[in-house]
Amino acid sequence: MLNYVIRRLFYMVPIIFCVMVITFFLFFGLVNVETMARTQLPPRASQAAIENWLHQRHYDKPLYLNMPGVQRYQAGQPFYDSLFFANIYDLATFNFGDSLATNRHIVTMFKEGAIPSLLVTAPAFFLSLVLAVSFSLFLVYVRASKLDAVGTIFCVMLMSIPVIVYVIICQWVLGNLLRYFPAYGFSLHGFDAARFLALPIAVLILNELGSDTRLYRAIFLEEVRADYVRTASAKGLSPQVALFKHVLKNGMINIITLTVAALPTLILGTLVLEDFFGIPGLGSLSLTSIRTTDYTVVRAVTYAGSLLYLLGLLLTDICYALVDPRIKLK
Amino acid sequence: MGRRSRDLSLLLVLLSLLLGLAGCDNNPNAAPWQAKHADGSPWVVSYRAFPEDPRTLDPQVAYDELSHAIIYLVYDTFLTYNPLKTDYELQPDLASELPVMETQPDGSLDYLCKIKPGTYFIDDPCFPDGKGRELTSADFYYTWQRMADPKTECPIVSNFSDFVKGLDESMAAAAKAGHFDYSAPFGAITVVDRYTFRINLKKPYPQLKYWLAFPFTTPVAREAVDYYDGKEHDGVVRDRFRVHPVGTGAFKLAEFKSQHFIRLVRNDRYNSLKFPTGGWDPAQEKALRPYAGHSLPIVDEIQYNIIREIIPSWVLFKQGWLDATTLTKDTFSAAMDANHQLNPDYQKRGMKVVKNVELMTWYFMFNMRDPVLGKNAKLRQAMSTVFDTQKENEIFYNGLYVMAQQFLPPGLFGYDPNFVNPYRQTSVEKAKQLLAEAGYPNGIDPKTGRPLQITLDVQAGSGTERQAAEYEQSQFEQLGIRIKIQENLFSAMLEKQLRGNFQFVLAGWSADYPDPENYFNLLYSKSIPPDGYNESFYSNPEYDKLFEQMSTMENSPQRLAIIQQMNQIITDQCVIAPLYNQVTLGLLQPWTQRVVVNGYVSLFGGPRYSVLNDELRNQERAKLNAKNYWPLIIGGILLAIVVGVGIRIGRKRDA
Repeated sequence: MLNYVIRRLFYMVPIIFCVMVITFFLFFGLVNVETMARTQLPPRASQAAIENWLHQRHYDKPLYLNMPGVQRYQAGQPFYDSLFFANIYDLATFNFGDSLATNRHIVTMFKEGAIPSLLVTAPAFFLSLVLAVSFSLFLVYVRASKLDAVGTIFCVMLMSIPVIVYVIICQWVLGNLLRYFPAYGFSLHGFDAARFLALPIAVLILNELGSDTRLYRAIFLEEVRADYVRTASAKGLSPQVALFKHVLKNGMINIITLTVAALPTLILGTLVLEDFFGIPGLGSLSLTSIRTTDYTVVRAVTYAGSLLYLLGLLLTDICYALVDPRIKLK
Repeated sequence: MGRRSRDLSLLLVLLSLLLGLAGCDNNPNAAPWQAKHADGSPWVVSYRAFPEDPRTLDPQVAYDELSHAIIYLVYDTFLTYNPLKTDYELQPDLASELPVMETQPDGSLDYLCKIKPGTYFIDDPCFPDGKGRELTSADFYYTWQRMADPKTECPIVSNFSDFVKGLDESMAAAAKAGHFDYSAPFGAITVVDRYTFRINLKKPYPQLKYWLAFPFTTPVAREAVDYYDGKEHDGVVRDRFRVHPVGTGAFKLAEFKSQHFIRLVRNDRYNSLKFPTGGWDPAQEKALRPYAGHSLPIVDEIQYNIIREIIPSWVLFKQGWLDATTLTKDTFSAAMDANHQLNPDYQKRGMKVVKNVELMTWYFMFNMRDPVLGKNAKLRQAMSTVFDTQKENEIFYNGLYVMAQQFLPPGLFGYDPNFVNPYRQTSVEKAKQLLAEAGYPNGIDPKTGRPLQITLDVQAGSGTERQAAEYEQSQFEQLGIRIKIQENLFSAMLEKQLRGNFQFVLAGWSADYPDPENYFNLLYSKSIPPDGYNESFYSNPEYDKLFEQMSTMENSPQRLAIIQQMNQIITDQCVIAPLYNQVTLGLLQPWTQRVVVNGYVSLFGGPRYSVLNDELRNQERAKLNAKNYWPLIIGGILLAIVVGVGIRIGRKRDA
């Protein structure tokens, strides 16, 4: 098992390197550093101010290689004294530097943003798992009835609505018309936090519920038709017990393996939702940095997102290996 | 029976859980810093919204509106604008009197500046014993040094170096040495005594007084800059100076949670400014008279919620949780009726509309180096004449914007309300005639025999921006010419404008300070990029001469005459085609008053003068936020029915 994990980690190294190179191209290859400076400085910044801005951030270096003839060549410096190598080194050492727009330390910004993001995504993740499993079991329980059909239609309906519509409807109905919850805002103080989190969590659950239920229903239906369930029924086990004890258990193996990939990315939060509900998490940080052309923060988010995604894939593979003995860990 | 009661109780638990959550308060605002004053009088909080974080609270660095909004309140500027005047009259703030330009016996020029004694920095651990010390002229000396320090990254210091002595030398020395030597002689400021200093000038620079009303030149305490270095000391990581202001302003920064919330609390020691004693609109006499001569600030605390989206901020405003809001295109239709009047519902509530004509002009900017447009004034005149601005205003801006006839926006010295631009009176016929005179009869290029093609570069944006570009295209194409719309990313657009790699674009200029020089500089030949932002690449020796003359003059009839001449040149040659002056609309809750009469001036610490009726606010909020529980009960019952039916179906099949 350990061998397998280590091998998988090694496989990730070239992928991560590719991610670094692509991130560099996206943020330095396509955008001139001078333009980057201009987007941050006042509209009438002088050339001297731009040069100083670049100098203070060590951006006054050649792009790929420090060689005679290239722009911003620095005589006396080694060939690797370039933006490209500095960028790879920074990403490899998780030294994301400071935000261009606010000059705050990016790692601190990440630490501050992770908690609010997790406060929304983690409860929503687990609650929607529980709700979708319950709902799908209910549909399996009433399978092939009219209620099942209605439920399925309902799920398809839930699936078809984009998240922004849920946001607006929930905010309008629950926040504006019924006024059960604050329409916007955030707090970290105990029960006060729950007031603010209820709406965004509800929206996330609504957004997930339809597709998850459809998927889990399919998984459970397959299990229900399996031979061992028929054997159990033949031996006199009541359908409820067969459903809750055996079908649920076996179905959950598939479900957990499917959902575990999403776990690491929970920390990144949700883009639009956080923005609309005022959750000061990493999702809204990403969106704000895109709006303010804060390249260093967007770069850090992109890189961290890729790493977390890779981690999710790794977790999935390990889960498969753990729960299904048929997968040999060679 | 047992199973059924278990189901029932489960439902009851669920329902009560929902009810419990729904029973909670929907107030999104944080609790006040203090419940009451020590003497039992109410502690009044003003609730406002910000669309995003201020970028920095370092006065020498900040240049964006949001950062400035906070900096004006926690720091104080040397001069400030009179809150009740619309003509940008400056008055002393930290100063004891307006600075005067002097000529020394040796012929050198300077501004003599005097500060009020008895102004104190707020208490802060950066000072010995944590007690704020008095502000002196040495603080101004240090602040100007700090501006010249490359590490500070003051973005406008090079604009000053043309006019203020000593900056270039100090900056060059710092660049050479790799650090700024604060003990070296510094020529920009001369400290005369504890409360008097001189700003030494290379040449007259009347615009300097506007810069003295800006945060860039606001004094900071060296103790604070050195103390808040963002590093670890004795196991504690200190803030960076840019998030930890230590000022002399009307408020202190109590909390700053990035992306979320800012809280300012009154500075009891503040005494630089008082509430005006008169001069307001007579209609406000009753509301404002009680505050005449009152010490500032009037409110005890300001809370800024960072609200990035329009819908939630509109919802919170409607519920009374925000004291004011800005109307956007999206909320305009919700707040106003078809005749652009406030909706009767909101009128009944007592809400007030606030209209601001901004110091901003939108215009078509022609590239004067372009071989087609740059050399042909008649062609530019034709394009300017054919364009129907009023229609565009109605379609895209709710008819709100002010139609512009000239480069300068209303309110600036030199703006002529009666000026009629002959090429901004929309007429397709006249435009066609001009086009024929330009050598393109019916829009046909005689060289190719095909319609003349011109490219309009626009920044890629939302659907509305694209629609506006299409409208503009259709307007010009009435002439028979072809307009190609080229969409660009922000960075590409910037690049093109700086390199002169375009034919014409839609441009907007928002005044940095209320002086016409700020506008006319955009067409000055020495401001052609990379030296400045003359992105029309206009170069006219006659205009340059006039500009050089007017830029160093104080406002006077002579200056006005020169400005009129310059305006005439711009108009005749049609270097730009002025379109609109931007207008913003705000809505005020019935419990607030508009005190500062001008939108631009209110950016300069306007909330210091904010007044509001707390009692009325509490009553209104209670009315606006009453709750209704029946939808919840109906929802619960429906859920119970569905579950019950399901259980029955299942059981029937199993039986």
